[in-house]
Amino acid sequence: MEAIDDVALRIRKGEYIAIVGGNGSGKTTLAKNLNGLLRPTSGHVEIAGRSAAGMTVAELAKFVGYAFQNPDHQLFSSTVEEEVRFGPKNLGYPDIEVTKKVEHALEVMDLQGVRGWPPLTLSLSYRRRVSIASVIAMDPQVIILDEPTTGLDAKDTDLLMQNIDALNREGHTLILITHDMRLVAEHAKRVLVMAAGRILLDSDPKGSFSDLDLIRQSNLEPPPVTQLAHRLSRFDIPSDIFSPEELASAIAQKVRGGL
Amino acid sequence: MCMQALHLRDVRFRYKGSTGWALDGVSLDIEKGEFVTILGPNGSGKSTICLMSNGLVPHALPGDLEGTAEVFGLDVRNHPVAELATKVGIVFQEPESQLFSMSVEEEVAFGPENLAIPREEIRERVEWALEIVGMKGYNDRAPFSLSGGQKQRVAIAAALSMRPEMLVLDEPAYALDPLGRAELYTVLRDLKTRHGVTILLAERDAEEASVFSDRIALMNQGKIIEVGTPKAMLRDPERLRSIGLEPPQLALVASLLNAKLGRSDLSFLSIDEAESTISKLLAARNRRGSV
Amino acid sequence: MSGYVDLYTEGKTFLHRMDPRVKIIAVLLLTLLALVVRDLYHLLVLLAFIFLLLVLGKATLAKTYFALKMVLRVMVMIMILWPFFNPGGAPVLLSYGPIKITQPGILGGIDNAIRILCLATVWYILMFTTTQRDIVRGLVKLGLRFDLGLTLSIALRFLPTFGATMESIKDAQRARGLEFDKGSLIKRSKNYVAVLVPTIVSALRTADTLSLALQSRAYGARADRTYLRELKMKGSDFVALALVLAAFVIPTVARFVLNVTV
Repeated sequence: MEAIDDVALRIRKGEYIAIVGGNGSGKTTLAKNLNGLLRPTSGHVEIAGRSAAGMTVAELAKFVGYAFQNPDHQLFSSTVEEEVRFGPKNLGYPDIEVTKKVEHALEVMDLQGVRGWPPLTLSLSYRRRVSIASVIAMDPQVIILDEPTTGLDAKDTDLLMQNIDALNREGHTLILITHDMRLVAEHAKRVLVMAAGRILLDSDPKGSFSDLDLIRQSNLEPPPVTQLAHRLSRFDIPSDIFSPEELASAIAQKVRGGL
Repeated sequence: MCMQALHLRDVRFRYKGSTGWALDGVSLDIEKGEFVTILGPNGSGKSTICLMSNGLVPHALPGDLEGTAEVFGLDVRNHPVAELATKVGIVFQEPESQLFSMSVEEEVAFGPENLAIPREEIRERVEWALEIVGMKGYNDRAPFSLSGGQKQRVAIAAALSMRPEMLVLDEPAYALDPLGRAELYTVLRDLKTRHGVTILLAERDAEEASVFSDRIALMNQGKIIEVGTPKAMLRDPERLRSIGLEPPQLALVASLLNAKLGRSDLSFLSIDEAESTISKLLAARNRRGSV
Repeated sequence: MSGYVDLYTEGKTFLHRMDPRVKIIAVLLLTLLALVVRDLYHLLVLLAFIFLLLVLGKATLAKTYFALKMVLRVMVMIMILWPFFNPGGAPVLLSYGPIKITQPGILGGIDNAIRILCLATVWYILMFTTTQRDIVRGLVKLGLRFDLGLTLSIALRFLPTFGATMESIKDAQRARGLEFDKGSLIKRSKNYVAVLVPTIVSALRTADTLSLALQSRAYGARADRTYLRELKMKGSDFVALALVLAAFVIPTVARFVLNVTV
């Protein structure tokens, strides 16, 4: 049984994409096909114009970085700095280059304060950031983040997403894998909804929220605000709203006597 | 006097080897049959309260315990976990590491087997528990083959088969996708409404907690900030944010609407309630604003 | 994937239905029997009998080959090496300096290769006709202390889980440029640190929660305990047990007491 089927996809440099779906939707399988951890049974994958088939995972790691969902599956060094050095060193960059990349990664992820600490003793929020920093340090153009905010408090989620958004502004292509529709609504610019191994929808966030049935079919939960907006559509409230502020404004406008 | 499920008065607890107090003066009473959710960010102490309710704190996880901590009238200091476990069942957040048997049936039977319950009764309890959590017929399945949501439901069944008077769940939906979460909360709601089980839930996500809890306790940094009805506890987004919690989206909408319309009475937590309240608002407007 | 050591195949043959205790005892006795029997032809009869059991248990050729692949290689190695290390006896077939290949040497190699095959096959039959659950339960009913049985069953239950975790960790490190099949032996060993540390940490974390979960289910509450599923010996189980005992006792007595060549 194929975990993904009939998937065709083009991602342009600098895009900020979210791949959403419930467990078993194929989103992780698709992502792992992008960095060579999994290879297609049929069809082909091209990264930056080159065929991925001829490249090893290590070679692909220079272009596509993958931060795993569970940071504890990556961390093993005695200090944060060593941990972050691990990736670029493996890729064979000269020491000066490695140091530069490590410094940049530590800065982007706000980790200078803990650079000498053992990563395994840090809180989940920090461990996630170390894991992402160790991927950034390899300086890939594309960064895949697998459920980066699971288990984090609201504040830590905000901080982390700020760091991640900054990566996109720097020019990196970001691929976020998640089942949190709220996260998607607030950060991604393009959404791929997956279910049962297929891409059901490929659109901007607003477009993806317009079809609630589709979202439910993918074992996803539309944000409560969106569900409410849909229920109020008979009052001419737009259905593709996902921020509480936007909905409150729309309702208030109707109440005060807008059109 | 009616015995409470959980009675904590001025409880302070510090894990051995730790400098900070995980619980710093906590008082909380849970009545039998209640569904109480403790809402707090990571490190607030909610897990510690969960672990204390069946004696794991302080027996398995030692430390300095001050104050009164009683479970169904029993002082947790003086009764071993094995005894408290007959009154309180607990479900942890990691689906994988709390199922250790080679089949669902063995897992659910393990508790009663330890208590030397007669075989026929164990059989009854296993079937009953699996039915409640919607896992009937899964007896011979191996834990490895189950989804996260299914594993958590088996964990609940394994706790229920001991026929506890209170079920404690520490962030049970942590590792689950939306489908798994929905299944889990359906089971919890069922347990409360149809089986009258006292439930204590520890959560980080205000969104889920709001709908079926009788009361919500807001917690931060080892202290309980306040306890009250879901509406009362969740209506002020600023207060929730100050504790480190993300307010439920609908509560935010209500609060923003109040601000924009110069009111203070709008309040809703469920989508149905929100729809009904706002519809009335807009219908009234349509009637008044004749154009 | 059902498990790294789970060779169990569903089935309804009499071997599948046999009480696990009888199967465990049979495997032990047949193993000893293979060591007691000396005559090559008798060994071949034993092997044929074991293969008959394999057929009656409806073993599939593919799975059996996969499970016994290693054993076949070991057999070939034994047949080749044994004569070199056992140059005693006559007649001598080949002689080259200090190396002497004798007929008894060659036969000894063949004997032992067949013994290994008997052993491996009989254990394989146990594994594919009995669920891991039943094996552990059988052992406990035969007298293994319950907590040791629990340890064993927990280990078996987590084997596939830790296997999957380790694969996931290898993937995560591959994505950081680590290559497991390149480099000197020393480099490869160092690479494995990046896999072992997270695996062990993960195992320890799991063990922590597990211990809390066990206590929460009142493990150790009482000295006695009951069991949901009981093992009951059927008539056919007693017959099988009797046959196996006879099959073992007769040749053993014949060899050690009556000094008959077995």
